[in-house]
Amino acid sequence: MIVVKNLTKDFKGTPVLKGIDEHIQKGEKVVIIGPSGSGKSTFLRCLNLMETPTGGEIYFDGEKISGLPYYENHSFAFRRFRRQHPSAHDINQLRMRMGMVFQHFNLFPHLTIQNNITLAPVKLKLMSEEEANLKARELLERVGLPDKADAYPSQLSGGQKQRVAIARALAMNPEVMLFDEPTSALDPEMVGEVLQLMKQLADDGMTMVVVTHEMGFAKEVASRVLFMADGVIVEQNTPDEFFAHPNSPRLQEFLSKVL
Amino acid sequence: MNFIESFRQNFIEADRWKYLADGLGTTLLITLLAVTIGMLLGFFVAVIRATYLRTGRFRIADWFCRLYLTVIRGTPVVVQLLIIYFVIFASVPISKTFVAVIAFGINSGAYVAEIVRGGIMAIDTGQLEAGRSLGLNYSRTMIYIILPQALKNVLPALANEAIVLLKETSVAGYIAIADLTKGGDIIRSQTFSAFLPLLAVAVIYLVMVVVLTKLVGLLEGRLAANDRR
Repeated sequence: MIVVKNLTKDFKGTPVLKGIDEHIQKGEKVVIIGPSGSGKSTFLRCLNLMETPTGGEIYFDGEKISGLPYYENHSFAFRRFRRQHPSAHDINQLRMRMGMVFQHFNLFPHLTIQNNITLAPVKLKLMSEEEANLKARELLERVGLPDKADAYPSQLSGGQKQRVAIARALAMNPEVMLFDEPTSALDPEMVGEVLQLMKQLADDGMTMVVVTHEMGFAKEVASRVLFMADGVIVEQNTPDEFFAHPNSPRLQEFLSKVL
Repeated sequence: MNFIESFRQNFIEADRWKYLADGLGTTLLITLLAVTIGMLLGFFVAVIRATYLRTGRFRIADWFCRLYLTVIRGTPVVVQLLIIYFVIFASVPISKTFVAVIAFGINSGAYVAEIVRGGIMAIDTGQLEAGRSLGLNYSRTMIYIILPQALKNVLPALANEAIVLLKETSVAGYIAIADLTKGGDIIRSQTFSAFLPLLAVAVIYLVMVVVLTKLVGLLEGRLAANDRR
């Protein structure tokens, strides 16, 4: 579903990703762990072009999405490109198919919970307002917050905010969900409710890419665990093998610190 | 000459109070239209500046915006008014009030632009990322997510800018517009008494500013109450 070839990313000349090759299949739950500064968040953010890759290629559903004038659908460069490639999708069409959940939730504070969820589907004309409202109610039910539709984000706890953020992403019916350290900003007692919801999502068959420090979640939910350090994927394996028999000394050292 | 007699001479005799009333009307008209132009222009410039600073797009437009801000904020408003009237519209037969509206609008736009840009830049980049990650393009994210939040934060500052502009229009007399200040001055030149006409002018400005400031205060209170919900 997502194919990454020799992906590199520099921030002002400092290399952050140094050549990543990765193939994420439909239905997989890929968990990425690694020390801070290892480039795992940057890698995740490259997948939906939140960061523009410096080099390499990214394919989504067989379509090359990197290195092209995708950046804005109304840019002249993209219009010219689409005249030659009429079937090409612009970045916004691609992002509609990839949900993203952030460390700091990034709910829209000026909108009610319901409007947080319905804004994008309605403005992008994927649903009518009534359909979107129904969908929002249904999603809030699913994330366990059916009574919060008319509340504002500031009235919610951290865990509740993150569950709403997940519902907001799901409202677009994405094919893959990207999680960027979804529990790192939460109080310890709220981590569980968010992980529980993510586990449900995984059980429902969603394709997921998760950057996290929650080793328990990786063990329980992942179909594959990647270990990143210094801008490369050092090691990857099924969770059982990954935690029981780490090969590289770098991973052994990391696991001995966090477990 | 006692106070009542002086009052009668300055305001009642020959209907001189009309200079003040008409002048007040002109002042309010210029202020209202100039504020409108200033807000529109300011928002436009602010969005271009913020977009350039955040994404690197609109580099050339941003350069022109910065030139505009530097020139307008670096020169006195009276000089701008005179240049627009005597140089730019020199050979065009045009209403002086219109010239003043243009001049004060352009001037105010520069200050509004910096206020609004500050408001936009103060919104966490996570808001932009969240909007973009849902598939909204940059303009939609701006319109539905960033600007409503930014506008709410800068509303009091914008209202203050409008109050400042109300007072600044008092230099419209430089191009012989009979605004409130000029109205008082005309009375002074006819009656040769400066105290009462100018005092009246000052009091009228003061009352308007105090009332408007009070309204801004109420507005700020309402917005703050909203945040606490």
